[in-house]
Amino acid sequence: MKRVIIVLAVLFAAFSVFAASENALEIFSWWTGGGEEEGLLALFDLFHTYYPDIEIINAAVAGGAGTNAKAVLKTRMLGGNPPDSFQVHAGMELTDTYVIPGLMEPITFIYKELGILDKFPKDLLDIVSYKGEIYSVPVNVHRANVVFYNKKIAEEIGMKKEPTTWAEFLMYLDKAQQKGYIGLSLGDKNKWTSLHLFESIMLAELGPEKYNKLWKGETSFNDPAIKHALSVMKDLLKYVNSDHSALTWQDATRLVFEGKAFCNVMGDWAEGYLKTLGWRPGVEFGWFAVPGTQNAFMLVSDTFGLPKNAPHRENAIKWLKFLTTVEAQDTFNPIKGSIPARIDADKSKYDVYLQWSMNDFSTKSICPSIIHGSAAPEAFSTALMDAINKFVTEQDVNKAFKEILWIAEDNGYVTD
Amino acid sequence: MAKVELERVWKIYEGKVEAVKDATFTIEDKEFVVLLGPSGCGKTTTLRMIAGLEEITRGTLKIDGKVMNDVEPKDRDIAMVFQNYALYPHMTVYDNMAFGLKLRKFPKDEIDRRVKEAAKILGIEELLDRKPRQLSGGQRQRVAVGRAIVRDPKVFLFDEPLSNLDAKLRVQMRSELKKLHHRLEATIVYVTHDQIEAMTMANKIIVMKSGVIQQIGTPHEIYNKPANTFVAGFIGSPAMNFVDSKIIQDNGLWIKSSGLKLKIPKQFEEQLEEYVDKNVIFGIRPENIYDKMFAMAPVEGENTAAVMVDVVEPLGSETILHLVAGDDRLVAVVDPKTEAKEEQKIDIVFDMNVMHIFDKETGKAIL
Amino acid sequence: MRKKNLVIGISVVAPSIIAIAIFVYGFITWTLRVSFSNWNSFSALLRGEYKFVGLRNYIRLFQDTRFQTDLWNTLFFTLFFLFGTIALGIIMAILVDKGLKGSRLFQNLFLFPMAISFVVTGTVWSWIFAPGNLPNNPQGLNLLFQKLGLDNLMWGWYTSTDSLGHFNLALIPVIIAAVWQLSGYTMAMYLAGLRGIPNDIIEAAKVDGASEWKIFWRVKMPLLTPITLSALIILGHISLKIFDLVFAMTGSGPNFVTDVPAIYMFELTFRSNRYAMGSAIAIIMLLFVAIVIVPYLFSSMRGEKR
Repeated sequence: MKRVIIVLAVLFAAFSVFAASENALEIFSWWTGGGEEEGLLALFDLFHTYYPDIEIINAAVAGGAGTNAKAVLKTRMLGGNPPDSFQVHAGMELTDTYVIPGLMEPITFIYKELGILDKFPKDLLDIVSYKGEIYSVPVNVHRANVVFYNKKIAEEIGMKKEPTTWAEFLMYLDKAQQKGYIGLSLGDKNKWTSLHLFESIMLAELGPEKYNKLWKGETSFNDPAIKHALSVMKDLLKYVNSDHSALTWQDATRLVFEGKAFCNVMGDWAEGYLKTLGWRPGVEFGWFAVPGTQNAFMLVSDTFGLPKNAPHRENAIKWLKFLTTVEAQDTFNPIKGSIPARIDADKSKYDVYLQWSMNDFSTKSICPSIIHGSAAPEAFSTALMDAINKFVTEQDVNKAFKEILWIAEDNGYVTD
Repeated sequence: MAKVELERVWKIYEGKVEAVKDATFTIEDKEFVVLLGPSGCGKTTTLRMIAGLEEITRGTLKIDGKVMNDVEPKDRDIAMVFQNYALYPHMTVYDNMAFGLKLRKFPKDEIDRRVKEAAKILGIEELLDRKPRQLSGGQRQRVAVGRAIVRDPKVFLFDEPLSNLDAKLRVQMRSELKKLHHRLEATIVYVTHDQIEAMTMANKIIVMKSGVIQQIGTPHEIYNKPANTFVAGFIGSPAMNFVDSKIIQDNGLWIKSSGLKLKIPKQFEEQLEEYVDKNVIFGIRPENIYDKMFAMAPVEGENTAAVMVDVVEPLGSETILHLVAGDDRLVAVVDPKTEAKEEQKIDIVFDMNVMHIFDKETGKAIL
Repeated sequence: MRKKNLVIGISVVAPSIIAIAIFVYGFITWTLRVSFSNWNSFSALLRGEYKFVGLRNYIRLFQDTRFQTDLWNTLFFTLFFLFGTIALGIIMAILVDKGLKGSRLFQNLFLFPMAISFVVTGTVWSWIFAPGNLPNNPQGLNLLFQKLGLDNLMWGWYTSTDSLGHFNLALIPVIIAAVWQLSGYTMAMYLAGLRGIPNDIIEAAKVDGASEWKIFWRVKMPLLTPITLSALIILGHISLKIFDLVFAMTGSGPNFVTDVPAIYMFELTFRSNRYAMGSAIAIIMLLFVAIVIVPYLFSSMRGEKR
């Protein structure tokens, strides 16, 4: 693995030296498949119509849901050989990894110059800021705290109104189980999905305000709400398929699609997946915010930043300015199946689900996701992921809570 | 106490290759029998059938009167010495020899006694703790024999055991094996292609060719009364001279070939009468041809010939002459003091009392 | 002339020696150095200030329950994997060696899995052993068991969190997959070994009174000792470093029941940015492999001298 990365890095280095002499723009991402790649290429095409002279180098690295790309990127940044602009999740993945060590250039000036500071939700810009300066342009937004459900099963178990409390939700799960369905499908073979579920419960129990304060060190992890979140999770696990650790998130979503499971908690990339399977939003499947998180929007956002010593800084700034436009965002997002980060985008271009999400995005509190790299540094999220993975098996609330406190303490969060 | 009987035994591989054809013979108790023949003659196959390592296609094998066709090798109470010794490389000499006894659950002290005794007989007491790879070829040979001796089997089987030894060692082992036979009073079946081994050690020789038994007899019989041209040619070195000839009547019977005209002794005339004017093969061993100067047989002018010397091979104790008479080529072993020179004529004498006559068509011995 | 040969010789060998010195031993040394450092975040690595923390990373690892699980898993995986591949390899080698009809086909059939990448076999076996949602919706093997009316054989396979002592039962399917993949290889090794045993030694044993069974244990197996030793070394170091098969098949499993040090190392290094901790695992794994290989190297070197 290491060796592969080194070889890649050397190749990239050679390539960039060659490219440096050109009027080029090197864009680094892990968008290599499906709608993602199409969306990226559509963006490149659109960019070309404005700047026909700039040659775009697509430095996308495939595999591992971005893990490989992130490793390559770190090596390049470490070696002083940054791309002109790169994909990075909003939040700690950007700030902790690159901004704080001083590898990024602030780009607040772009927002000011274009007068668009009010066109993005303030909560989102906060997440991509450090010490008052903005460091990246959010291109798309995914929502993580969504329950997708099978409408046919919902009818069968008599669900008239979407549940907003755990009690209601558990009741429906129970009914579904009694009818022989899996209540809540889970596929945590790759571990992150159980933390994905847990962070939504945590958000529900803490409420968006307290949840956001955790990451700013303004509130303590030693909160009964977090402990309670663990017991809620324990309750939910009773309705989870027994083979969850053999499945991926796609498998879990598929269980809903195949009519074997009532619902699934997942980011709204699952909506895109259900659509590729042939379902129509609002017809075959419905959705609602994870109970208790109706007024929060758990956010996963891809952004692009400006590394220091970018070989083609001017072109990179052109690229970033381009990404802030409604036109660029409305080109990319309908293809990728996500919503634009700008709140004034053209809703008619998006499907019913995404319109619902856009509404909430501009009105609800925005909260960073832990597992998707926004809320906390990677060391924290992977350690928490391991703790939750153990919890799913052991279901020992006190032990897991103690471990969460240790992890928080290790990473410098408040635990008193 | 062991008698081995083969009755009309065949070995046919894959339904077509006939390795042994219709072999019938009996090995009496305490006999040293040698299966002799060139490679591919079926002698080893025959031995392996006795051992139980090859299945018998047809016929019956009896040991001590009991049919053994379907008995496993381990239950036949035989011991075998292999051409390549086949010692167990991972065992010491002692363990190699003790292995068979251990498998048969002999008591420890009995095993020890037997191994040490065999080692003493073979003079390998010093080697008991060594591994086979630390031994010389001759030493390995002794261990292989020792492994057979300790078992005290009904029958010993030897498969060309001396062929991997150098000439000197072979001579020595030959006499040791012979002594061993006397000492053990064992029944031995011994396979070789070396006629000297056969002649020196055997009580009885079975000569085979192409899967067929050619002759069974004592070494003396095999040498002096070969049953056919094959046996006659195979036994003895240099090999017997064969001359295409005719028997003619000319005041008695004569052998007539392109270069020779020899008088047939009176005592054979009766047997040969019906072959007069017929083509036969005249056989005479090289040692029965003499340089006339040193002849001890009666010289009557009727059993001499003047021939051309082609090659002279002095060996010290004797000299081998390659001779040409007309179209006939002859080899003679003569006194080393011979004055024969290459490209010169000499007179030679035939000892016609030990001549052989074979049927031209079948090769069978007439005389 | 001799001098010239020497120069040519050195210049031919030098590049590989230099490359090995840098890319193997240099990097091992570097990894060792990192494992004693505080480089447990990207920014720490970036700042590049080396702070020696002694054995702290190692101590943390050995206190870490996940790493403890990894060690137990490695132990049991290695034991059963070695036993399974060697036993099965021998059995298949004997069957093929018997030269029965079609044995040639089976020989190739048994060897074939070796040619497939661990990632592929891992994925396929993860489907085969996927338990399904028990008890009502079994999948894979469980479905087969159900169809055969063997319902009580259905279990969670690699999703099971049961254990016997420190042996996590979820490792069983992983071990089966690994044995399946590599027993063909041991078969090939043993087959070569069996065919190298002179036939007359076997025959001598038969005449000496040994049954097939005795011949196998008392004659063939001792003669195959070098093969067994090589197989143990080769398979042992594969098993101690196993990553791809487990990663593709089960990940770490629920509660890390199928986790192995290599996966933990990968995640610590590339997911958590705990480079020093990752390096510490790398060094520990290197030590494990060294424990297996170094005695072998010494004995084979001594053998060569003799």
